[in-house]
Amino acid sequence: MKKFFQNQVSHDLFITVGLLLLTTLLTLFLFFFVSDNPTNIALFYIISIITVARCTDGYFYGISASLFSIIFINYFFAYPYFCIDFSLSDYPFTFVCMLSLSSITSAITTNLKQQKEILVLHEKQLIEAEKEKMRANLLRAISHDLRTPLTSILGSISSLEANNEESLRFDESRTLIHNIHDDAGWLLNMVENLLSVTKIQTGASQLNTLPELVDEVVAESVTRLKKRIPDVEIEVKIPSEILMIPMDAMLIEQVLINLLENAITHSLSPKPVQLIVENQPETVCFCVIDYGIGLPEEHLEHIFDGTYSDGASSDVRKGMGIGLSICKTIITAHHGTMDARNHAEGAEFSFTLPKEESYA
Amino acid sequence: MHKFTVLIVEDEKSISDFIFKILSSHDYRVKCASTGKEALSLASSLCPDIILLDMGLPDIDGMEVIQQIRLWSGCPIIVISARTQEDDKVRALDAGADDYLTKPFGTSELLARIRTSLRHSNKSNSENGLPQHPYRAKGLEIDFFKRNITVDGQSIHLTPIEYKIVAFLAQNSGKVMTYSAVMNNVWGPYAESDNKILRVNMANIRRKLEKNPAQPVYIFTEVGVGYRMAEDEDH
Repeated sequence: MKKFFQNQVSHDLFITVGLLLLTTLLTLFLFFFVSDNPTNIALFYIISIITVARCTDGYFYGISASLFSIIFINYFFAYPYFCIDFSLSDYPFTFVCMLSLSSITSAITTNLKQQKEILVLHEKQLIEAEKEKMRANLLRAISHDLRTPLTSILGSISSLEANNEESLRFDESRTLIHNIHDDAGWLLNMVENLLSVTKIQTGASQLNTLPELVDEVVAESVTRLKKRIPDVEIEVKIPSEILMIPMDAMLIEQVLINLLENAITHSLSPKPVQLIVENQPETVCFCVIDYGIGLPEEHLEHIFDGTYSDGASSDVRKGMGIGLSICKTIITAHHGTMDARNHAEGAEFSFTLPKEESYA
Repeated sequence: MHKFTVLIVEDEKSISDFIFKILSSHDYRVKCASTGKEALSLASSLCPDIILLDMGLPDIDGMEVIQQIRLWSGCPIIVISARTQEDDKVRALDAGADDYLTKPFGTSELLARIRTSLRHSNKSNSENGLPQHPYRAKGLEIDFFKRNITVDGQSIHLTPIEYKIVAFLAQNSGKVMTYSAVMNNVWGPYAESDNKILRVNMANIRRKLEKNPAQPVYIFTEVGVGYRMAEDEDH
C-alpha cells in the first residue's frame, strides 16, 4: 500500500480522512435509519480513532482524529442536530476521554514500532556476527591446513635443488616430484573451495542458480575427480527420468567432489564409492556411500562445523573439516539439507536440493 | 620438416616460460608476447599456425585481440582462462576463438588441444566442402551419408533433431561447441535464447548412446559453456 503513496504524510492523511468519513457515513446511516442510541455512535468513533492511531506515524493524526470525531458527534448526533453547540454540560468529559484515548493508543503503537525496528536491527547484527564468526573459523582452519602441503613442497624442492646430480637416486627424486605434484593438486582444490565460499558470501545468499541437468553435473564432477585421482572407482546410479533442478553448477560440483574425495581417502577401503541420486517428490537427493571404517559417532554432531578433524590421524591434510563445512554452506545457500550418518558397513553423506525455486 | 609456429600471449612470465619449454621440446617454433599490442603485431608479422591467448592482458582486453585477429586471419586461437570466468569463455568462443584451456592445465592436455586445433585448421583448408567420411570413436560410428548411427555394431535410433545435434558435434569432434553455436546450427538463427531444449535433447541422446550417462565417453559437457565430442579416431 505504501508504494501507492509517494510518502508517509499522504499515506497517513489518506487513512485519517478516509476512516473518519467512513465512520461518519456508517453512523449517520445507523442513527437515522436503524436506531438513535447515541452510545453506539461514540463506540464507532473510538474504533476509528484507535485504528488511525495504530496505522499512522506519531501522535498528530490520532489527536486530530479525536478532535474531529468530537466535532462530528456534536454536529450530527447531539441535539440540536446539524449545528455546533458546545454548551452541553458533559461535553468537556467526552473531549478529554477521546483525547486521552487517542494519545495513549498513539504512544503505544509508536513504542511498538520503535521496538520492532530495534529488533530488526538486532537480528541483522546477529547474522553479521554469525557470518564473521564463520569466516574467522574458516580462515583459521585454512591457514592451518595450507601450511602442511606448502611445507612439504618447499622441503621436497630444496632437497631436489641441493642434491641435484649426486646423492639422490632417480626413483627418490621421482617420489619427491610425485609428492610435490600431489600437494600442489590438493592446494589447488582447497583454493577452489575458498573461491566457492567467497562466491556465496559476497553474493549474500543471492546465488546465481540456473536449471541444470543432474546427469551433467554428476558426470562433470566424476570426470573432474578422475582427472585428479585417475585410478579411482565410483559407482554412479542416477534415475532414468530427466531431472533439471535450479542450482549453481560449479558449487554443487564442488560439493560432490569434496564428498567423493572424502569417501575415497577416509574410508580406508578398496571397495568402490557409490554415488546415488534419488528423485523424491519435492527434492532430489544425492547420496555418497562408502564401505569403510565409518564416522566416529561422537563427531557426527559437529561434523559440519568446520573444526572437525580426525584426531587419530597425524596427517593434518587428511582433516576434512573445511571441506565439509564448505559443503554445508553451499547446500544451505541452495535451501537444501545435508546429513551425515553411519550405515552398517561404512559412512553415508547425503544432501537434498529443492526441485523448484520455491524461494524467490 | 616444417615446424608449426605457436604464438603464446601471456603476461605471467612463469606460465609463458613453462608453456615455451614444453612446446619447444615437442618441436614447435614458439614466440611469446606479453601484451595485447605485441601480440597483434607479432601475429601479423609471424602469421603463426596457432595462437594461445590469455584473456587477462595488461593493455588490451583479450576479446579485443580475438576480434582484431579474426578481421584478417582464421588461424586457430586457443583461449587460456581461469575456471571462474565461465562467461568469458563463452564470449571468447562465440567471438571466434576455437577452443579454451582452463588454468591449471596439464602438459598432455595442452599438447592434445594444440594438435586438435591444428588438424581442424588443416582440414577446413584442404577438405573444403568435400563429403566427410564416417566418424568413428570408441565403438561409435556415424555414417553421414546414410544418416545412420551405430554403437558397437548396434543401430541406434535418434529423432531428426537429436541426429542433427550429434552430427554437428561429430563434424567438430574434439572441439568445444558453445550452446549457442549448437542452437544456431540445429534450430536456425531465430532459435530462442533459452538452451533448455538443447540440454533436454542432450540428456535423451546420452541415454541412447552412452552405456552410463553419468560417465559419458562420447559427448562431454563443459559446464556453463557447451559440449565436446570425443575425437574422431580416423585421423
